[in-house]
Amino acid sequence: MNNTETSTKKKYPRHTEKVMKGNFAAAEAAKICKAGFIPAYPITPQTTIVEELAEKVGSGEMDAAYVNMDSEHSVFAAAMGSALAGERVFTATSGQGLFYAHEVLHAIAHFRLPMVVCNVGRPSIPWNIWSDQSDSLSQRDTGWIQFYGESSQEVLDTIIQSYILSEKLEIPVFVVLDAFYQSHTSENVWIPDQDLVNEFLPPKQLKGTEINPDKPIAVGGLVQPEHYGKFNYDFWIDINRVENLTNQIGEDFYQKFGRKYQAVEAININKDTKIILVTISSITTTAKGVIQHHPEVGILKIRLFHPFPKNSILEALKDVANDTLLVAIERNFMGDKVGAMMQELREAFYGERYFKMIDVFTGQGGKDVPPITIEKIIYKAKNNPEDVIWIDME
Amino acid sequence: MLPAMEFLIKDEKVFSGGLSCRGCGWSLLVRHLSSILGENTVYVVPASCFSIIAGPYPLNEIKGTIVHTIFAAAPATATGIRHTLDRQGRKDTNVVILAGDGGTFDIGFQALSGAASRGENLIYLVNNNGAYMNTGIQTSSATPYGAVTTTNPNSNFKKKFPKDLMGIIAAHNIPYAATASLAFMEDYRAKIKKAKEMEGFRLLMVDGPCPPGHKVEPANSIQVARLAVESNLYPLFEVEYQNYKVNYRPTKQLPATECMKLQGRFKHLFKEENKHLLEETQKVTDYNWRRLLALEKLSVEFVL
Ligand SMILES: Cc1ncc(C[n+]2csc(CCOP(=O)(O)OP(=O)(O)O)c2C)c(N)n1
Ligand SMILES: [Mg+2]
Repeated sequence: MNNTETSTKKKYPRHTEKVMKGNFAAAEAAKICKAGFIPAYPITPQTTIVEELAEKVGSGEMDAAYVNMDSEHSVFAAAMGSALAGERVFTATSGQGLFYAHEVLHAIAHFRLPMVVCNVGRPSIPWNIWSDQSDSLSQRDTGWIQFYGESSQEVLDTIIQSYILSEKLEIPVFVVLDAFYQSHTSENVWIPDQDLVNEFLPPKQLKGTEINPDKPIAVGGLVQPEHYGKFNYDFWIDINRVENLTNQIGEDFYQKFGRKYQAVEAININKDTKIILVTISSITTTAKGVIQHHPEVGILKIRLFHPFPKNSILEALKDVANDTLLVAIERNFMGDKVGAMMQELREAFYGERYFKMIDVFTGQGGKDVPPITIEKIIYKAKNNPEDVIWIDME
Repeated sequence: MLPAMEFLIKDEKVFSGGLSCRGCGWSLLVRHLSSILGENTVYVVPASCFSIIAGPYPLNEIKGTIVHTIFAAAPATATGIRHTLDRQGRKDTNVVILAGDGGTFDIGFQALSGAASRGENLIYLVNNNGAYMNTGIQTSSATPYGAVTTTNPNSNFKKKFPKDLMGIIAAHNIPYAATASLAFMEDYRAKIKKAKEMEGFRLLMVDGPCPPGHKVEPANSIQVARLAVESNLYPLFEVEYQNYKVNYRPTKQLPATECMKLQGRFKHLFKEENKHLLEETQKVTDYNWRRLLALEKLSVEFVL
């Protein structure tokens, strides 16, 4: 690896700074995490992830089995087989590909297989390839943990942390990035040196629960009603550990890499905050710029979306007044009266806090959410806080 | 002269107490298969009767590893397992798919074609019992012409001939594909051994007896399988890189009706008004056989 040090003192020691698109950051993360199996199938806007991985494996830069599968259903089934045999698995998909794999998502989660998969969010046909989180959010109940990355740096860093989390809990993880706004947009990314990553995330250790021809077992056979609930109970126990572990791994990551991540991020949230925008992904960055002119507006960025980090949210909002207005920003449509974010927020606050909350649908199917849109949202929240607002429908 | 003993299982790899029906093909074919492949084998099982026969959690009826998987994706699951075992230095482990006709001709067809096209180092065994039996005898695209199923009941019996899976799989230009019958055990066992010694994608299709599904007396299950071969309803052949070789030529071809009349699923065809349908079945059977012989003649040596 080329370790050319340009400045005398780097912002992050043992890192190399590069300009790269989000998809390339995701592929780079798979490489430095030493994923050993990559089943692949193309779909816009994910394609450059699997193309880049093909390049990395083909050139020998990365030691992995890379297999061009016949569909996303097969991609996830192959990922499942590989993980069953103990490999560290990575792949990526988007929209229709994710919908198509739905059956397998459940199987992977309920087989309790660790893996990290990137989803570059886009919505359902009628054809649309642009940024929207309806695909991953509609897979909320498959049992996968879901993170949403705000920047390419965060995507890369979250993939590293997700392997730790996934392998510890034996629960698969999605790391979601925004189509085009992230996937195809170049940013500065600090790439940790391989030995630094190795110290944090050692090569995958076999636990003894993998299939092993020397110790034949049957996996996945018919489970009678007497036993089935026990599997779910064990799963539930571990799902309850995700939020704390996310925060703990985020802290460990900070010690090692110097960048801090938690389940949620609170920006300008204090006792004087009047309005809180609840965001995920890159809209957060836009909103961060806009609230510079609105000292009374804060942002609650949800990084861990599933399981929803209730405790971290309550903690982040502990000082805010009860009359603070919460604005859920939804770049998704669940075919329901409110979006996915609102549903989760209501559940998180139930029996804990009461806030007036409004739900804002915006950015659907990739429609840009520029600062002016955030301004509009803030204006509406202040002047005409209807329960549900659709932006730019007139 | 002593009778041929080549079909005796000397090293049993299946425990007693399997959950199959009496006369089921699954149990017998797996006993022979596993006795030849040995314990260093991972069986990948999509939804089928064998999902049940193999035993509920945490049981395992075979001395070997079983991975139960989703219906449509056994070859894909097996692909992931194969590549990972290879990377673990276990190239010697057999990875074998055990699928039904529904899981092969229909829902798993794409994953099968994908794995065959990629040349995955897998053995694919399809137990073709001609319907979705595990869910109660529904029509698949392997269901024979004229058969009654629960989704083609009574006079609404299946009116299409099954698709030529062997032709399709041969077109993938794989090293080995063969049909086999449980009434021709030496042939079946020899084909397993041959497949085992080869590398790449290999497929065996076994004519699967299913007494409840075919409405056959369990005691007649092997007899019906034998008549299927003797009547050319189910010819025994192998294909290596698209080169066909017929393995058994009936000395005197029996009429298809000899095999069909023992199966309740074809009972209605024997009514006077359906006589022409039986004739059609015979015609198509003869056509298939002639075509097979022609394909055998066509043989072109495969050079790489
Ligand atoms: C996606 C999906 N669809 C339907 C089923 C229901 N199903 C389970 S087994 C089966 C029949 C299998 O038929 P076949 O492959 O011919 O095997 P057989 O039972 O005849 O041995 C069906 C339809 C399923 N498990 N998964
Ligand atoms: Mg069947």
